[in-house]
Amino acid sequence: QGCVDHPIVLTEAVCNPLYSRQMMSELLFECYQVPKVSYGVDSLYSFYHNRKQNWPCSGLVISSGYQCTHILPVLDGRLDAKNCKRINLGGCQAAVYLQRLLQLKYPGHFAAITLSRMEEILHEHSYVAEDYIEELQKWRCPEYYENNVHKMQLPFSNKLLGSTLTSEEKQEKKQQQLRRLQELNARRREEKLQLDQERLDRLLYVQELLEDGQMDQFHKALVELNMDSAEELQSYINKLSVSVEQTKQKILQSEVNIEVDVVDSKPETPDLDPLGSEQSLEDVESINEFEPLFAEEQPEAEKPVAAVQPVFNLAEYHQLFLGTERIRAPEIVFQPSLIGEDQAGIAETMQYVLERYSKEQQDVLVQNVFLTGGNMMYPGLKGRVQKELLEMRPFQSSFQVHLASNPVLDAWYGARDWAVEYMNREEGWITRKDYEEKGGEYLKEHCASNVYVPIRLPKQAPRSAESSASSKGQASGTGTPSEQA
Amino acid sequence: QSAGGEAVNENKFLNTDSSTGSAETTVKPLPFKDPNFIHSGIGGAAAGKKNRTWKNLKQILASERALPWQLNDPSYFNIDAPPSFKPAKKYSDISGLPANYTDPQSKLRFSTIEEFAYIRMLPSDVVTGYLALRKATSIVS
Repeated sequence: QGCVDHPIVLTEAVCNPLYSRQMMSELLFECYQVPKVSYGVDSLYSFYHNRKQNWPCSGLVISSGYQCTHILPVLDGRLDAKNCKRINLGGCQAAVYLQRLLQLKYPGHFAAITLSRMEEILHEHSYVAEDYIEELQKWRCPEYYENNVHKMQLPFSNKLLGSTLTSEEKQEKKQQQLRRLQELNARRREEKLQLDQERLDRLLYVQELLEDGQMDQFHKALVELNMDSAEELQSYINKLSVSVEQTKQKILQSEVNIEVDVVDSKPETPDLDPLGSEQSLEDVESINEFEPLFAEEQPEAEKPVAAVQPVFNLAEYHQLFLGTERIRAPEIVFQPSLIGEDQAGIAETMQYVLERYSKEQQDVLVQNVFLTGGNMMYPGLKGRVQKELLEMRPFQSSFQVHLASNPVLDAWYGARDWAVEYMNREEGWITRKDYEEKGGEYLKEHCASNVYVPIRLPKQAPRSAESSASSKGQASGTGTPSEQA
Repeated sequence: QSAGGEAVNENKFLNTDSSTGSAETTVKPLPFKDPNFIHSGIGGAAAGKKNRTWKNLKQILASERALPWQLNDPSYFNIDAPPSFKPAKKYSDISGLPANYTDPQSKLRFSTIEEFAYIRMLPSDVVTGYLALRKATSIVS
């Protein structure tokens, strides 16, 4: 029909930039003709879902998702946005860290260590240590390691030590190279033969000059040839004719040899004439580089390329051993210095946030610490947060830590509960009329939403003159909740 | 009944809808969309060719900073966590155990003698990999 008929509840980031909200509203209202829209923060919806009985309540919401972790103090049902903090680490960064660790540890399996396998490891085999240093000490001793190391078996691949060819392909390659080499040699010999022949002819002609008695021409020719006497000329002629004969013989021989079975013959090394042509140097180099290739391929062909070799346990080669990696990867949200981030971890940020409140408010917040988000599902995480709180709270003060009933899906359940309850009420929904009057970045606050800061963004008009520059509207009617006294 | 709000994470790119908005070029009519809609992102300052000028996160934040915020308003860049006050604990790059020693040649941290032997045998790209993981690669080389 060209439109969407029902209202939409959508989650957005904490303190979503106004530009993003404007884009989203524009899409929803103008493209999809949605009647009314409500924006909220996912962790607050989750909080709402878990605490509906005694709403409005206060607490410290710690939500850790795929990309980032938020610490959100909630006072009397409303988010205290001024004091929120966000750590830019989440499940994604943990997976990437684990992947790089394993790739560096097992460089042979670089391609087999994929992100999805890392996520599987994180979901199923990792846990958070309650006391990180103590856990690490436990991992030092070998029996603990043997008992608790997790071995991941990678699928078997035939790529052993980088050689990707089967034995037939290798033979083929060798034969091809042999043939090429022989052709090259034959061609070179022919060229050399030709040159030598020409030179021989020239020398013979000069000799004839001598025999015919034309002394001047003979001497001139000698000088041209850079020779001193007739005897030298004669000796040159002899040597040349001998080498010409040899080359001719070799050409004949090599033509015969090509028919012979290629695998058994060794490559022919051309016997380069010591007087030889100018190309000899390059020839030597290229043939030399063929030679080592041949030398190393031949012995390999002899060794059986069998799957089982005595010293080498193939099954183990394809296994990844996860020891301390199991606790290192989830630890980055607590200690971002593990990957070089200079933000503070969860514990320190919690302390920082709590210190911005008065003592009574701190107590209120700490009574209701709420953990949510997919990255919070490691076993042992709740205990870890409790221990951190114990370290930072004053002596003998109480605190309570709760985990969401279903950290991954609670945000959706919370949004559903909210929508069901507020379906026909006015508050919290941005209608189409509001959008048109007040612009895309308008937000109506409700119990699970961001705080609205009334700044008008210039509406992006397609290629026409821009509308008025941003101006500050009146103070938001719903008002921000009071902060510390 | 309301539709579900799924956790759409708007942190990164804004390509929330992968299908293009210009209805003139779509092959089949999409059932929910208004056929006459042209997104305001099309036809930005750059003429013609790059119709869809989406901004990435850095650009969005840069333009957000330029808006007249009050001192106490929360905004996306205000709520970044502060850097840590406590000194970072050092862990071995290989095994993760607490590391007391650093190899002067490669700057990797290690905790036992066997690790040291292992480090000295590593090829240089693995060494750089470990350092990059810790963001400790040297800028100069």
